[in-house]
Amino acid sequence: MTFKSFFRNRMTELSLTIIFIVGFLALVSTSQGVLLSRASLQGFLTYLAVPIVIGMAQMVVLCIGQMNLAVGAMGGVSTAIMATQMADHKVSIPVALLVGFLGATAMGAINGALVVLTQLNGFIITLGTMTILLGVQYRLVRTFTIDKYPTSLPDFGKKNIVGFPLILVIAIATSVVLSMYFSRTGSGRRVLATGGNALAARLSGVSNSRSVFIAHTLSGALVGVAAIITIASLPGINRSIGGDWMLSSFSAPIIGGVLMAGGTVAVYGTVIAAGVIRLVDIARAQYSLDPSIVSLTVGVVVLSTVALSEWRRRRTVRQNEGRKVLPA
Amino acid sequence: MSAELLVESVSKAFPGVQALDKVNLALHGGTVHALLGENGAGKSTLIKIITGVYRADAGNLKTNGEERFFDSPIEATHAGIAVVHQERNLIAEFSVEENITLHNPPLRLGIIDRTERTRLANEALTTLGFEIDLNERIKNLSVAQMQLVEIAKALVTKAQIILLDEPTASITAGETVKLFEVISRLKSQGTAILFVSHKLEEVYEICDTVTVLRDGVSVLESKPLANYKQSEIVDLMVGRHLADRKVVIRKVDRQVNAVLELKNLKTSLGHESVSLSLYPGEVLGMYGLVGAGRSELARSILGLHEITGGEILLGGKSVKIKSFRDALHVHRIGYVTENRKEEGLFLDFSVRKNVSVTILSKILQKLGIIHVGKEDVVASKYVDRLGIKVVDNDQLAGTLSGGNQQKVSVSKWLAAETKILIIDEPTVGVDVRTKASFHELITELADEGLSIILISSDLAEIIAISDRILVMRDYELVGEVENTKDYPSISRSIMSSIHSGS
Repeated sequence: MTFKSFFRNRMTELSLTIIFIVGFLALVSTSQGVLLSRASLQGFLTYLAVPIVIGMAQMVVLCIGQMNLAVGAMGGVSTAIMATQMADHKVSIPVALLVGFLGATAMGAINGALVVLTQLNGFIITLGTMTILLGVQYRLVRTFTIDKYPTSLPDFGKKNIVGFPLILVIAIATSVVLSMYFSRTGSGRRVLATGGNALAARLSGVSNSRSVFIAHTLSGALVGVAAIITIASLPGINRSIGGDWMLSSFSAPIIGGVLMAGGTVAVYGTVIAAGVIRLVDIARAQYSLDPSIVSLTVGVVVLSTVALSEWRRRRTVRQNEGRKVLPA
Repeated sequence: MSAELLVESVSKAFPGVQALDKVNLALHGGTVHALLGENGAGKSTLIKIITGVYRADAGNLKTNGEERFFDSPIEATHAGIAVVHQERNLIAEFSVEENITLHNPPLRLGIIDRTERTRLANEALTTLGFEIDLNERIKNLSVAQMQLVEIAKALVTKAQIILLDEPTASITAGETVKLFEVISRLKSQGTAILFVSHKLEEVYEICDTVTVLRDGVSVLESKPLANYKQSEIVDLMVGRHLADRKVVIRKVDRQVNAVLELKNLKTSLGHESVSLSLYPGEVLGMYGLVGAGRSELARSILGLHEITGGEILLGGKSVKIKSFRDALHVHRIGYVTENRKEEGLFLDFSVRKNVSVTILSKILQKLGIIHVGKEDVVASKYVDRLGIKVVDNDQLAGTLSGGNQQKVSVSKWLAAETKILIIDEPTVGVDVRTKASFHELITELADEGLSIILISSDLAEIIAISDRILVMRDYELVGEVENTKDYPSISRSIMSSIHSGS
């Protein structure tokens, strides 16, 4: 791959990186360096982990041209399973986390199987499973806060690796693996082929049913990772967990350059977009700004990012139309 | 006043290419003007400039005496220019009537006047001599019917200048006759018509004047068509004399076992009893009119539609093919689709990824990771072999020209190295030179031992490259012709099977 073609298809990710750096520096300078203090930097990075992972959980379903509305509910149930296992059944931490993770993966697999079997869109199926799972979550957690589990778990969540929160490292590592999966494995390539053009994929010998199943299952597994990160970084679990995941899971991948129509992934774009969104949150807290002004600004910034990249994409497409290589 | 459209010295550049270079064209009311050229010669770009999709870099456009370029297709419509695109721009969920009046629905007090709408749509369809239920949804129509609705849509705007971009590419001979009657009528009413087509016979039948584009230059400008022989026009388009291809009668051994045999195959789509045999290294042509059931047969064999009776034998063994995946990976049969954009390509994938999609399992290294080096070698092999014009293998397929997209689409199935390849209408909308290279390729592949079923509605193509020709009509095989490549006699026997049946 040539240097030029590498950037040709990555303009959104490039501009987001610049926005992130400029925004970060602006926050550092206007806060007289408070942001650079150990505690606030730690907070910034720690709470970046979950948005990254749920963004990817949504991304893998967006890339087949579908949506997973149950991201939050699956996360809620998954953390509830982990917490109740440990608190009520005295199951050891690794086993409880594994059971919760597998539970989330299974929920994703069920979504996928239902989409394949009913031939309905993922939007409708996950809308249904979301409602069911919210009921399950409520039955598991009720109105309590479950926190009677070994303190070694929250300690684990506070661990650092060379100055970086361990859970952020887990999130980044997950995204690196995911990126490899889509760019370099046959299975990942087939999932993208299904998303890009299901009919062409079918004629090329790709099983679309399998792709759809894999995408939803993968989404479940990623929600499982997000659930592990969540339970490790919070003092206790209640029924609000996952409540704000669904909408925020869309913003990172979409700002990061993933097409709603399917066929593309942008792992780095999703990660950096989650970072930008996190910066906005920090800014709001830092300056105790009037929330209305903040949401107004955020909305405008988000829309213009999307509009700008769309405009640039169209311009490229237009320039490329009728493109021919001149004889040497 | 009679309609007039003058293109004067129009130029347009895209990065790396001069798409149009000082092109001139004079289109007058009461004439049909042919715009000819190979794929990528600039025909579509010129049409897009006339209709305000693109902005020209230099030159003038005069419409009925008024000198200006249009900034948008709507402005062009208001100036009395209508265009019937190659790609049909219809709304599938809307009715015929709603589509015909889509651009300018008749209003009364701001509300759509249904009575008037029905009247307008009826009027346009009557002019076309085309009968169809006005309330039928577009999605339920055949491709040819859609094409006619598209033309009705142009008529209803009372356009004085109509641009027809390959209007006959996907309609039957009978419908073409009807369309030509309409064109003649419009012409006698003083309408100016620009006619783009790759079918030269049709051009000679209907057109008065001609402009030929080659590499963005108008090499023949608005001349009377009758002054030029067909071969002269082809030379102008191609820019060199296409050497007459040698007629080669290939020897196919049919004493050996057939690689593919159908015995009284019955499908859910309406084939009652189809039997045929395909031998190793044979090019079996399958001719028929659009809608005869050829693609449907191919897709049924490959597991897309249900087989309700009869047998499929591969190498003498009866098999059940469950899906395209099964066909490709287990039975080693490939199918090159006729709809490259909708079914053949991943527009957001690079050329490399498009080519390798059928062979992903063969280019893996440890842990299921794709060996990008091997992948690139395969892609380059087909880019070279088919002469695909790309910047590099990472160029996105969506940014290639039509002919090159078709080649990428074909490459993917060649890369799979199947034993049998069903090729469906490989050269529809493809220019003369690309067409010739496809024909050479198909013969080469057969020489290498690939068994090929070639589905085509182009008689000249079928006769040029098949070894044996089957004729299908109404989901039934009605004739079989041993191809001696003697065009007059073969075409006569094919046409007689089509018209009389057996």
